[in-house]
Formats: sequence, structure tokens, C-alpha cells
Amino acid sequence: MFFGLFSIYPVLNALYLSFFQKHLLSTAAPRFIGFGNYQYLFQSPTFWNSLTVTGIFTGGTFAMLVGLSLVLALFISSRKRFQRFLQLAFFSPAVVSTVVAAAIWLLIFDPRGIANQLVNTLAGTPGVDRRWLVAPSMLQLATMLVYVWKYVGYFTIIFIAGISSIPRSLVEAARVDGASVWQTFWKVTFPLLKPTTLLVSVVAMIQCLRTFSTQYLFSQAGSPRGPIDVITLNVYHTAVRTFQIGRASALSIILFAIMLFLSWLQFRVARSEEVSYL
Amino acid sequence: MRRGRSALATAGVWLALGVVLVYILGPLVFMVTASLMPAMEVTRIPYRWIPQSFHWQNFWQAIRGNDGRFFFVRNMVNSLFLATAITLSTVVLSTITGYGLAKFRFRGRKAVMLLIVATMMIPFQVVMIPLYIIATSLGMQNSYAGLVVPFLVNAFGVFLMRQYLLTFPDEILDAARIDGASEVQILWRVVFPSSWPAIATLAILTFRSQWDNLIWPLLIAQSREMQTIPLYITLFAEEKFTDEGAMMATAVLASIPMVLLFFGLSRYFVGGARLFSAQKG
Repeated sequence: MFFGLFSIYPVLNALYLSFFQKHLLSTAAPRFIGFGNYQYLFQSPTFWNSLTVTGIFTGGTFAMLVGLSLVLALFISSRKRFQRFLQLAFFSPAVVSTVVAAAIWLLIFDPRGIANQLVNTLAGTPGVDRRWLVAPSMLQLATMLVYVWKYVGYFTIIFIAGISSIPRSLVEAARVDGASVWQTFWKVTFPLLKPTTLLVSVVAMIQCLRTFSTQYLFSQAGSPRGPIDVITLNVYHTAVRTFQIGRASALSIILFAIMLFLSWLQFRVARSEEVSYL
Repeated sequence: MRRGRSALATAGVWLALGVVLVYILGPLVFMVTASLMPAMEVTRIPYRWIPQSFHWQNFWQAIRGNDGRFFFVRNMVNSLFLATAITLSTVVLSTITGYGLAKFRFRGRKAVMLLIVATMMIPFQVVMIPLYIIATSLGMQNSYAGLVVPFLVNAFGVFLMRQYLLTFPDEILDAARIDGASEVQILWRVVFPSSWPAIATLAILTFRSQWDNLIWPLLIAQSREMQTIPLYITLFAEEKFTDEGAMMATAVLASIPMVLLFFGLSRYFVGGARLFSAQKG
């Protein structure tokens, strides 16, 4: 019952609303406009901008998250000492909330902040402002860095759990047979890790698509909204700032469709490559 | 020769790890140190990682707020109350539902299960707008009810508890029934106490996601009295001439509940991720 009311019904309702023109504050009955909202969206440059921006954010963050957490997990599980310390250290950003994370990084990316200082020290160019929170591509990079920072530990732990379920004897047998570390990874560990990789990539991708807080806080703090106007932020603005409920619903339905499609794609890719190693 | 190369490789690996560690831990250290500095020093070039003197006023400023109306306290209480209430209800309702789904056979059980798994896939952002309309039409705007009700139970919790209770031995339940215990008693005396690991994990996950929740309170809570900590921090960051030190002090204060939970129950924190991978993989 509860699910019916709070989960299934809203989805159907969102779908239903997406065919209507409805203003949040008006008491007039919603007007049925068929695919009007979708038509409007497909013609609106802000929609395409949101789609591109979400794509860039998700692509970049996803690649960094999955790559980095896999490498970290492999490294940590190959260590005998410090395992627990490293796990907890990488996991620690998960303790602060997303908004706090965004607030910390906001100060780090400040023109006078640490990010500029670090880059300038490494590049030997004192006093240059990299415009982290202003220049479009820097701003996108900044939000990605915040997101990777926050979630990399979480996925590392999932990978570590996956790696620890691979029988050690298999890896050792490969090593005894003369395979290099590199070969062992690609031929033994990685294929056996596939279920975990699939899980991580599906979860990570949906996480990335859902991002909201970082972009919201950055844009509220004065960054231009365009380069970080991800779909969720656009939904929020469409619904709350311009009161176009129907249009916002259409947007969220599109987001959902993208998520479903990408998850399905990942499962397909994973299945087509499935090879038995026994 | 070979040994020399591998030593170099090891050094390289450790160096790379060091860089990543700085990336991960640096911002946290920054948060803590900056919270103890006057604003002038937070933005000093180069940044001094060790505060010259402890500027405790930041914390007072954080609690007082820039307008001196102590909304921080009120919002903190709101956040704690909401997260606790939602966590309690999620744990209790998920356990009851999960128990029912795991241990009783009834018509449509499969369908219910399928429904729940399907629901797990739906992100909040998709249902947010209709929920918002429901909440406003029920007059729940700007009220605790509006903030709590959509989250009273979630599909993931039910799924988690059901998976856990599937492995719970039936013999114990039967023994309790023979001893004359009612189903309510069994649930309360047998199932709850012995599901502690799963309950702790679920509780932490729920508490954390509520503590983090920004978008829903953003829609529902209009007045500052009703707002939560994530909103408070956003408002703090929005202000034009915000005091950076005080902002970090706010961040530190806002993190305290999670840090306490983390140190108290870090086993379950990390376990959450593991459990998650175990059941899907």
C-alpha cells in the first residue's frame, strides 16, 4: 500500500503530468497537450544544454570513479599492512554530507584558495587564477572532482569485497605459471571481477546522473549555472522557479528513461562478453 | 638490476597512493584547520595548514548565524529529529514487511517482491514532482509531516531485511510459536534482537541519506524555522560576504553526528557497501 502510494503512483503521475501544461500556482485544471512538453523540451536549447552537461559530468565522473576505485582496491587488497587504515581513509569523505563536501571545495576552488595555489606551485606560475568556479570547463572539472572525492571510497570498498571473493589460489596459480602481474590482472582477476564491476558501474552511473547538491550549491554561491545545469538542477528550476510542473515532469521522465537505457546497456554489454573460466 | 627496478616501481606506486591520499584527506584537514582560523587567514596565500592561534569565535559565529537569530540550532534540531524519526520508522516498517515477505507464504508474494525491487530502481528525482504536488495538496508544505512522510519506509530497506531474514532459521520461530508467543511477540523478542547487523546497516544508510537530503527540504521547507542543516549550509555559502572560517566551523559542526556514528559503528558503515555487493553480485 505504502509503496503504491509513494512510489508507483508518483511515477505514473509524473508520466501523466508530463502530457499536461500545468502551472504550479494556478488553480485551473491542467490542460492536456499530448507530447507538447516533450516537443517544447526538444526545441529548447537549455534542455540540450542540460543533456550535454549531464553527459559530460556523468562520463567524466563515471570514468574517474570506476577507474580510480578499481586501482585503489587492487592496491589495497594486495597490501598486508595498513589495509584497514587505507580503507577507512578513502572512505572518510563519505562521512561528511554532500552539501558540506561542496562547501569545503567551494573554498578550495576560491580564487585565493588551495586549488590555485597547488596548480600554480606545480606549474611554476605564481598568482594565476585558474577560474575554477567561473570558466565553464573548469567549473565542470571542479564538480567532477568533488563528486569523485566524495564517492571513490565507497566503490573502492565494494571492489575490495569483490576481489576478496576471488580464490587466491587462482591468482597464485597464474603467477606460478609465469604470468606477469599485468597478465594476471587482465586474464584472471578482471574477468572474475566482472559481476562486481557491473554492479559498481550501474550504481556509479545512476549516482552520477542523480547529482544535485554540488551543482546547486555552486550555482547558488555565484557560479554560472549553464555549464553545470544538470538535468536534476534543471528539473528543480523548472518546477520551483518557473512553476512549469508538466514540463519538469517530462524532464524527470526523460532522466528516468536515460537511466533505464544505460543500465540495460551495461547489462547487455556484460552479458555479451560473458565467458566461462571453468 | 631487477630488484632495483621493482624498488623503483614500488616507490612509484606509493607516491601515486600518496597523491590520492592527499586528494582524499586534504579537504577534510582543510575543513578542520580552516574552521579555527579567522577569515583573513583561510584565504591567505600560501595557506598555512596549522592555525596560528585557535579562533574559537568561528564556532560561536556558526551557531549564532550571520543574522544572530540562532537558526543553526533550530535547523540542527530539525535535521536530527527528521533523520531519527525516518530512520526509526524505516527500520521498524522494513523489518516487519521484510519478515512478512521472507517467512509467510501468501498469494501475490512474488508480485509484491517484484514491485519492491522495481521501486528500488526509481530515483527520487523522478517521483519528486508528483510527491511535491501530493504534499501541497495535502497541505503538508512547510511542515514536519511533509518532510517525513515520503520517506517513512523505502524499498531498499524492505529488500535488505527480507534478504537477511530469509536466512533466519524457521526452527527458532516455530519453537517460539509452540511456546505460545504471538506473532507480535516473536517479531519484538526474536526477530528484532537477532537482526542487529542488518538493522544497524540499514539504520546508518537511512540516517546518512536523510542527513544528506537537500532537494526535498528545498521544495518543502520554506520558512527558516522548518529548514534543515543542508539548507542552512547552502544559505550560509550563498551569502555575499560570508566568513570563510565560520563557514567551515558550520561544516564541522554539521558533520559531528555522522562522525560519531562513523566511529561508533564503522563496522556497519563499511559493511553496508559490502552487504550491498554481496546481495547483488
